[in-house]
Amino acid sequence: MRTPLRSLSRPLALAALSAVAARPALAQEAEHGAAGAAAGGGLLDPHAGLMVWTLLIFAVLLFILTKFAFKPLTAAVEAREKALEDAIAGAKRDREEAQRLLAEQRAQLEGSRGEAQKLIADARAAGEKMRADLLEQTRQQQAELLDRARRDIDAERERAIADLRREAVDLALAGASKVIERNLDDASNRQLVEQFLSTIPTNGARR
Amino acid sequence: MRLFGSLALAASLALAGAPARAQDAHGAAPAAPTAQPSAVDTSSAATVGGTSAAVGTAEQHGAAPTTVADVAAQGHAASPAQAVDIITPHITDAHAIEYPCISGDYAMLTCEAHLPTGWIVPIGSYQLDLSPTKHVVMMLLASLIACVVLIGAARAHKRHSHAAGHPKGFAAGIEAMVLYIRDEVALKNLGHHGEKYVPFILTLFFFILFANLLGLIPYGSTATGNISVTAMLAIITFLVVEFAGMRAQGIGYLNTIFYWNKDLPIYMRIPMFLIMSPIELVGKIAKPFALAIRLFANMTAGHIVVLALIGLIFLFRSAASGAPFLAASAIMVLELFVAFLQAFIFALLSSVFIGQIREAHH
Repeated sequence: MRTPLRSLSRPLALAALSAVAARPALAQEAEHGAAGAAAGGGLLDPHAGLMVWTLLIFAVLLFILTKFAFKPLTAAVEAREKALEDAIAGAKRDREEAQRLLAEQRAQLEGSRGEAQKLIADARAAGEKMRADLLEQTRQQQAELLDRARRDIDAERERAIADLRREAVDLALAGASKVIERNLDDASNRQLVEQFLSTIPTNGARR
Repeated sequence: MRLFGSLALAASLALAGAPARAQDAHGAAPAAPTAQPSAVDTSSAATVGGTSAAVGTAEQHGAAPTTVADVAAQGHAASPAQAVDIITPHITDAHAIEYPCISGDYAMLTCEAHLPTGWIVPIGSYQLDLSPTKHVVMMLLASLIACVVLIGAARAHKRHSHAAGHPKGFAAGIEAMVLYIRDEVALKNLGHHGEKYVPFILTLFFFILFANLLGLIPYGSTATGNISVTAMLAIITFLVVEFAGMRAQGIGYLNTIFYWNKDLPIYMRIPMFLIMSPIELVGKIAKPFALAIRLFANMTAGHIVVLALIGLIFLFRSAASGAPFLAASAIMVLELFVAFLQAFIFALLSSVFIGQIREAHH
């Protein structure tokens, strides 16, 4: 256990030393490990050639990547983003347009529905009115016809009564003349009959 | 260097409670590198080869392609009492990269491909060693993967931009990441008109992410576990931050260094200037310093833990090896998360710093 511990403490001290005053310790280290690590020397030994290489490689890489990778990549991504944004904007526009059209259509539909309803209502009212008119007309005609019929009947009756009366007078006269031919002169008999007849009411009270 | 090996050993001892055995396993190797087969057991060659391969499989592998004993012979033969450090070479940079190869006894091993050395550029009296190393290769690989993935995703998006719809699956996932970093991390923190810094933030994120992830695959290595790499990334960020400050504030940028508060009376302004200016300057430097250390330490620490646990598997050599195996698996999952998290934090803090300096008022 002693040996490794001692072997540990020495390099630790060395490392601490090299951290504080880098050069001498590192030089010693590099010398010591020259065969083991052919080029680099110590772990903390800066190597100018490698630094130049790093600078060179990094500069070339920066140039190549900027020109051939990042610019095209960024451009492509931006183009895609733009395309996407355009597509989204277009879709939004289309949707707004569609919504506008839909609203328009709906308004139109609403309007035409109201119109149709009004038309139906008008037609119904007109029909109703026409029916009422016709009914009224019919009723009037009917009443007129009835009236006329009644008047005709009345007139016929009057005429029939008058006819009957004349006939009756004639019959009575004929009868009376037959009687009078035997009894009386014509004049006084006629007077008698007239008197009698005047007591009979002329119109249908006795009907 | 020895620190980490020793730490691993100490962890082994603490967990195993079998110091003698651990001593045997690690201590025997450096003492008698050539005689090692007899020191372990009958199938030692295969076991040691297996150790090396399995470590390489689960993590990146260090310099030595064949055996632990070789590492010991190279690195620590002079101090036989020292533990063998098999962890540090996995973490540090090297002039060689490993690749899988099948040896004669069908055990999977790592072979090394040596990278060219000696690319030295003299700058005045200074010799700048530009030889490509393992981490340079890994950075190039990470950049390549980043390019393939991101450009592929971009192309998939281009194909789909005409048709209605968007790519599915992987490209969509990458797009989600890019958009998240852009919208939620960069643009939210960068302030107004911060778009021109977005590619920088995105590149930072993906470069660090793929570099982190490369350390989690077999034969891979984490370039971001190297202080030089993270330091350079932090310096780049620092420069971008300061540049952003100058661009956004013009002459007012000087206020972020030299504290000159016009709300104070003149007799207070001068002492405050003298006190605050160094603090402002330190604050400026502390930010990239923290960035560099955070990324480096997180990536390195995770690998050390995983390697130590994997080392325990071979230390136990019994059914008890299941415990460190499970622990190592769990830590690997955690590392996967940390790889994303650290890349995210680096990108987030960079954008926060840029945003701060662009909107700083004094």
